[in-house]
Amino acid sequence: MSKAKNSGKMLNATNKLKNEMGRHFLAIEQAHRDGKPTAWATAGTPVELLYTMDVQPMLPENSATISAALKKSQNFIELAEDEGFSYDLCSYFKTNVGAVLSQADMSVGGTRKPTFMLSSDVICDTHVNWFQVQAERLNVPHFTIDIPHVVSNTTNRQRNYFKKYIKEQLWELLDFITELTGNEYDPEKGKEIALNSYNLGKVWQDVFELRKNIPCPVSTRDTFGGLFPLFTMPGLKSPIRLYKRMYKEAKERVDNGIGALEQEDYRLAFMGIPFWYNLRFFSNLERWNATIVYETYVYAFSKYTNPNITKEMVINNPVESMAELVLSFWYIYDLKTRFEKLKETVKDWKIDGIIMHDNLSCRPNACGMYDLKRKLMEEADIPSLVITSDMNDPRKMNETQVLNQIESFIEILRKNKKQ
Amino acid sequence: MIKIAYFDASIETPEEIILAANMIPIRLFGNPTIGIDKANEHVPPNHCVWARNILQQAIEGFNDDIKGVITTHGCDCTNREFDIWLECIDLEFIYFLNAPLKRTEIALKFFIDDIKELITQLEEKFNVNITSEKISKAIKKMNKIRDLLRKISEYRVKMILKGSEFHYLAKGVQQMEKNKALEMLEAKLEELKTQNPHIDNKLKKVLLTGSVIDDTEFIRFLEKLGFHIIIDDLCIGTKYFWSNVDESEDPITALAKYHLNKPLYSTKFPSFERFTTLKKLAEKYNINGVINIAQKFCEPVLYSHPYFSKKFKELEIPYLFVEMEYNRESYKQLATRFEAFAEII
Repeated sequence: MSKAKNSGKMLNATNKLKNEMGRHFLAIEQAHRDGKPTAWATAGTPVELLYTMDVQPMLPENSATISAALKKSQNFIELAEDEGFSYDLCSYFKTNVGAVLSQADMSVGGTRKPTFMLSSDVICDTHVNWFQVQAERLNVPHFTIDIPHVVSNTTNRQRNYFKKYIKEQLWELLDFITELTGNEYDPEKGKEIALNSYNLGKVWQDVFELRKNIPCPVSTRDTFGGLFPLFTMPGLKSPIRLYKRMYKEAKERVDNGIGALEQEDYRLAFMGIPFWYNLRFFSNLERWNATIVYETYVYAFSKYTNPNITKEMVINNPVESMAELVLSFWYIYDLKTRFEKLKETVKDWKIDGIIMHDNLSCRPNACGMYDLKRKLMEEADIPSLVITSDMNDPRKMNETQVLNQIESFIEILRKNKKQ
Repeated sequence: MIKIAYFDASIETPEEIILAANMIPIRLFGNPTIGIDKANEHVPPNHCVWARNILQQAIEGFNDDIKGVITTHGCDCTNREFDIWLECIDLEFIYFLNAPLKRTEIALKFFIDDIKELITQLEEKFNVNITSEKISKAIKKMNKIRDLLRKISEYRVKMILKGSEFHYLAKGVQQMEKNKALEMLEAKLEELKTQNPHIDNKLKKVLLTGSVIDDTEFIRFLEKLGFHIIIDDLCIGTKYFWSNVDESEDPITALAKYHLNKPLYSTKFPSFERFTTLKKLAEKYNINGVINIAQKFCEPVLYSHPYFSKKFKELEIPYLFVEMEYNRESYKQLATRFEAFAEII
């Protein structure tokens, strides 16, 4: 194994993320002080509608990642396990249970008690179960959005009534919020928030477009580190400015032929949620001059990836557009679509191989991964590797084993390059 | 006759639609005596053991007369397995039925739409005509079966019918041609009417809940350890015949309402409401305790366990939670825990 090199160069703009996070946490504190409504929301729910309804969102799974990054998640997880929650349940969920139990500060992954909770099964059932557990423990109302499960043989005819079902639930959500808070839906504000969210997603996609260049100007630590606003602040202006700064800096690198990595030999894609307690792990790739140029998880939350949903549609019909968008992003893709999308991605981003994270905490994401790997390798000749670990529970990561797997994988890529 | 199998972690598949297509609905159950090495090539080992077991059977191949499968929306594992089924199995018909997560008017409309889509796809694939009249006729037949099962179930309470005997019967009904099921149930009811209570009254009367508990051998195992399953809220048990479908309403609407009006499953929202049902059953049947079984990695049951534990403690009803592997060797390893529980209650 070659020695580790210095870490890939991060963008200066990414460092400003702390300011954005600070702004978000201040907004939560301010809302609490002023008695304004707040809501917990799970990833994949239309956070934009919360902003439109003057409800301050909080995303406990993002808070859980902060706990992990600060090496606090294991302690919180074990507290939840003491409460009877199984070792096999989601580590984000257990981090949140432990953080609430220990009244942790927001700076270490704690959250405030919300006015209500908003979940959805678009990504997993866990989101629904998690908020059900916490809504009961904290005694707050809970609204969930049921997203029909899209499979490889779902027809367009079915998609039409799926969309109708989601749209009706979104209007039901707005009624629920009005009833609870007295805040009414303002169509003009809805348009403004939708436009900001659209712009945020699009600038993020522009940053990803730049990553198609060789060498790749943006490291995975920029993208994993920078995605926080996509979850928590879609609809606000300030994160757009941050992403534009990231874009500008990355563009300068492209124009000057500068990569995030000094020597870029292997371009990789990463599928799944990273190990938040050990993001430095990705620096290990630099031992082999390998860099991650695309992360499905990070790209997914740029949201506006469906070409049928235009800017005008998003602005003019924010609720209806949201119903369509929620049915067309990475996390809901069926196996067949995931395969096709990955093939396109590999071609467009000039990727040499894919690392897939079989995340012990995220069964829906891991289910189908073996078949996907097999199809990519056998039908598209794309080298793929499945590694097993956990996103927030450091007890479930065997770093040496994973590193050995990656080293062998890089060796395969090296041989492929020689041929 | 063509058979259509269904894979349902709850029990929301409208069998009447299959019957109205002049086909036989066959519910898929696990088989704890087989190895699941082929399924493990597709699904990671920390995923639901029961769902992997059924995938194994699908990969090995069903009987030739099974021409199609309906997977009904259950949990993350069963839902996400569907695409793997599409990759691995070769059947004429395979449909994912999106039984909704919620119980609202909007969800009901959606479920009706999806049942109609199922009808359309069955009609197109098999060139059959599934009319309202045929569905109504099937509803009448299934209601008779539900009536009989409810009556027979009460013989568990009368200490005439063992929990394992009832389990075997209920499971059989879900896998056999329904006219035969009717005959069998009618004969069984007549037989039970002639019997006097004979089950040992010293056995501990328990309410059984949890994941899909479909191995009758496990019920026998519990009986040997001193329990009598007097009542359950399992999807293979009482949830299969909880109430009847309204015969006076439009049949598709009535079917959708029937399935959404039954007590909730652990896979649906808000699953904590299950406690209300369990509490009612516990009170009605004057049980000695509750046994909650989670098949290994069954997330829906794992999430609700601490809440149930707290609530049963408040009611001072003894409660045992056990997580187990889906193979018979593992039952024996759990014997001490069950025996200790039987001692306590």
